[in-house]
Amino acid sequence: MKRTSRRHKLLLIPGIISAGAIALAGCSSASSGASGSSSPSAKSSAKTTLVIYSAQGYDHAAAAAFQKATGIPVKLDDNSTGPLLTQIEASRNNPSWGLLWVDGATAFAGLDQQGLLLKGFEPKASWNSLGTQSLPSDKSYTPTGVTLMAALVYNKSKVKNPPASWQDLLQSQWKGAVGMNDPSQSGPTYPFIAGMMNYLGGVSAGESYYSKLKANGLIIHPTNGPTLQALTSGQIKLALVQSSAGIGAVLGDKSLTVKYLDPVTLLPSAIGIDAKAPPAEQAEAKKFIEWVLSPAGQHVMQTGDPTGDSLYYPVLQGTSPLPALPSLASVKTQTINPYTWGPREATINTWFDSNIVR
Amino acid sequence: MTRPPVGGGPGRAAAGRATPRWRRLAYPRGLTALFGRLGMPLFWAALIFFILVPCVSSLALALSPRLFDQGSQWFTLTYLRQAFTGATAVAIGNSLWVSSAAAVLGLAIGFPIAWLAGRTTLPGRRFVPGAMWLVLLLPSWLPALGWERLVQPDGVMYRAGLDWPWVTHAIMGPFGVVFLLGLRSVPFTYLAITAALAGLGQEFEDAARVHGASRSATLRLIWPMLAPAIWSALAIGFAESISDFGVAATLAYNSNFTLATYQLFAAIGNFPPSFPLASAMGILLVAAVAIPLALQARALRGRSYQFLSGRNRQVIRRQLSRGAAITAAAGVSLFYVIALGVPGFGAVSASLLGDYGGSFTLTLVNYRALLHQAGQIGPLERSLIYATIVSFVTVIGGFVAAWLLSQRRARTRSTRALDFLLLAAIALPSVVFAAGYIFAYNLPFWSRIGVNLYQTTLLLLIAYAAASLPTNARVLVGAVSQLQSSLKDAARTHGASALTAWARAVLPVVSRPIVMAWLLTFCAVFLELPISQLLYAPGSPPASIAIEDNLSNYHFGVGMAQAVLAVGIALAAVLLVLGAYRLLAPAGWRRIGGATRG
Repeated sequence: MKRTSRRHKLLLIPGIISAGAIALAGCSSASSGASGSSSPSAKSSAKTTLVIYSAQGYDHAAAAAFQKATGIPVKLDDNSTGPLLTQIEASRNNPSWGLLWVDGATAFAGLDQQGLLLKGFEPKASWNSLGTQSLPSDKSYTPTGVTLMAALVYNKSKVKNPPASWQDLLQSQWKGAVGMNDPSQSGPTYPFIAGMMNYLGGVSAGESYYSKLKANGLIIHPTNGPTLQALTSGQIKLALVQSSAGIGAVLGDKSLTVKYLDPVTLLPSAIGIDAKAPPAEQAEAKKFIEWVLSPAGQHVMQTGDPTGDSLYYPVLQGTSPLPALPSLASVKTQTINPYTWGPREATINTWFDSNIVR
Repeated sequence: MTRPPVGGGPGRAAAGRATPRWRRLAYPRGLTALFGRLGMPLFWAALIFFILVPCVSSLALALSPRLFDQGSQWFTLTYLRQAFTGATAVAIGNSLWVSSAAAVLGLAIGFPIAWLAGRTTLPGRRFVPGAMWLVLLLPSWLPALGWERLVQPDGVMYRAGLDWPWVTHAIMGPFGVVFLLGLRSVPFTYLAITAALAGLGQEFEDAARVHGASRSATLRLIWPMLAPAIWSALAIGFAESISDFGVAATLAYNSNFTLATYQLFAAIGNFPPSFPLASAMGILLVAAVAIPLALQARALRGRSYQFLSGRNRQVIRRQLSRGAAITAAAGVSLFYVIALGVPGFGAVSASLLGDYGGSFTLTLVNYRALLHQAGQIGPLERSLIYATIVSFVTVIGGFVAAWLLSQRRARTRSTRALDFLLLAAIALPSVVFAAGYIFAYNLPFWSRIGVNLYQTTLLLLIAYAAASLPTNARVLVGAVSQLQSSLKDAARTHGASALTAWARAVLPVVSRPIVMAWLLTFCAVFLELPISQLLYAPGSPPASIAIEDNLSNYHFGVGMAQAVLAVGIALAAVLLVLGAYRLLAPAGWRRIGGATRG
């Protein structure tokens, strides 16, 4: 009797599992329809939903303006760069994103080398020199603006004679006074580390530099925000952060100022299109890129996050940077080859984590 | 006394013979029977689908990265070997000893507080439960940031003229990490012990004292009766500490003291992320949970802890002497000052400074920004709804799981598997658990059959519930294991259906632990971060994502204001639920486990 009863219960399990799967299918179809997601049924309708993964501060404004201008429905996943890349890598055998919009060409180069980006698309645009420097040869992503890594931020009333070169940071005068971000938590920080290695002549020269910096009391905080907070609270005197973050802090606290040390590395904001997205969604992603590079799109980018990501240097002729941005006329900039430095990111970050952060 | 078979007794069987089939189906007792038959398979199916499958998916990656397109090997031990070397091995070693110490510290602080509040005339005891909930609902990163803000070089302590570098060294190091994780474990101990004390009637102490036992001898009598709760508290404390990310990513990270969860996060946060390495570390963390599980099983093997019955008497509070009352009140207050005062000061002061904390000028600019900027309040409302829904689902599942776990006489392979699964799920870091959801529920197979769960609110809620259920079950198992089956049997003998018997005989006895378990889930889900980060539906960020977004960007003050508001909302919800229970629950429900002044 017990055996029969138990067997009946066991037999019920597959049935319930099947029923559960069907119920889930019903739920997901219903929720897809309601939220306009990119389910297969939605994609067969007249306009496919464009799924945007973005870490830009102005992305909400941009997505809304684009949808209003074109009528293309947009679903925005606004998150930090790290979680977005984690989502893309975790879901690579069944991707659900249409385009990715984050800072840092090395991440795009890494995705490109894994075959995850659509190659060969170049929108019609009049690039300026920053734009031309940031374009990849296989056209697998498109730059939309440039910030610099790293900007030196300090309190001008407390620091009268700021360092004039990267080597100056190693002087005993700045012992325990310099702070920067952790590359395993801050997306823009790896390009800075790679940029220094590129400038100093290679990985080992760069490792030697950061080891000396650590010996001089370098303090690591996770991201731009906490590093700047350490500066304003007095824990450090010099903060090495992304230029848009530094200038944004200056706008809120007039005692702070930003200085660029030569050379400073260009950090392009870029958009890449999912190679596995349906053709209709890829076509909409291309339209989105063209719209972003239009005067209307640039206006939204420059007004959508006025104390944050809007503080970028444009990559198009005829678009001027916001007045708060220091001129780049006297600053030496450098571009690192993302296809050389991108594949080294995991190794160098692990080294940095083990030897500099610890 | 023999227990009637589940889903039907002699009375029901007779009714079944006399009633036509259509009437039996329509009759409530028929529904109860149907639920009885389907309930357990449904429960096991949910466990398999939503806990086992994601756990196995994320852990299998370490051995077979190719399975989920995360590498070229179908089988490899490379990542497991890697987890045993270098910085990863150090981090795992750190996590093991720190979590053990934190669980013991949590018990050492939590047990006396639970006893003082539940069994004595401690002054201000009325405020102890509410304040304990506040400790519980604070995300662990908040106290860590508060302490850092206080003791870091050029922090508040130094600005106030207290030049105490030894305090900085003590807090910004292993001691501080154990200290904070220990404080974090206190509410779990408190809840488990309070629930058990509530069911421990006065008659046991009276019997001991009547037979001439001294106070210490009485304590020796009662102590073993609380063993399930004590072991539960230690197991939860260990598992919660070893899977904690908030302290690991803030105080421990800034103290150059690496814990396994941070190392695991770094493996996933790197680019490209190494899911197989993270998975290998996940396997080791899950294996570590075998330690408290084995100890718990060994301690409780072959014994019965069912002493909660319909005959339990109300407890008489022990009258503390004036000196003892002052000492006890001072000790409990000190705990709350350390656990709540410091992080509260850190968060509130940061939210009231408009310029990244450069000066001490107070302003409400961050709160004004919070109220006027678009998209700042919506995430809080969203998380409130998510936490409410998930809490109801989890409490039902948690109670069933606790009931299964407490059936020690009929302990089968399946209940032992359940026991391990639930503890393993507690130990599995949330970020790995969430990645398992992506691997399991974003397979092309699901899309082909029309199930697109990834990046839907439904999957997020399921993951929240699945992640909360193990802790929930652990909290309830202390109280449920004390239930004597005679309670329900008596109701069944008097003709009540299974559901009615449960509702009228069992529910009143366990209503208080159930309310506590509901609140525990609510607090855990309301500000949950790692699962939210990987699984939230695009366009619908929950509170933790919005706060994290503000904190890690250029809006530190706004983020702290948002965190303070979120904690305020959660506290209001806790007070509302506790108040509603006090007002609406029948007096008899509240009297069980209550105490009178002696």
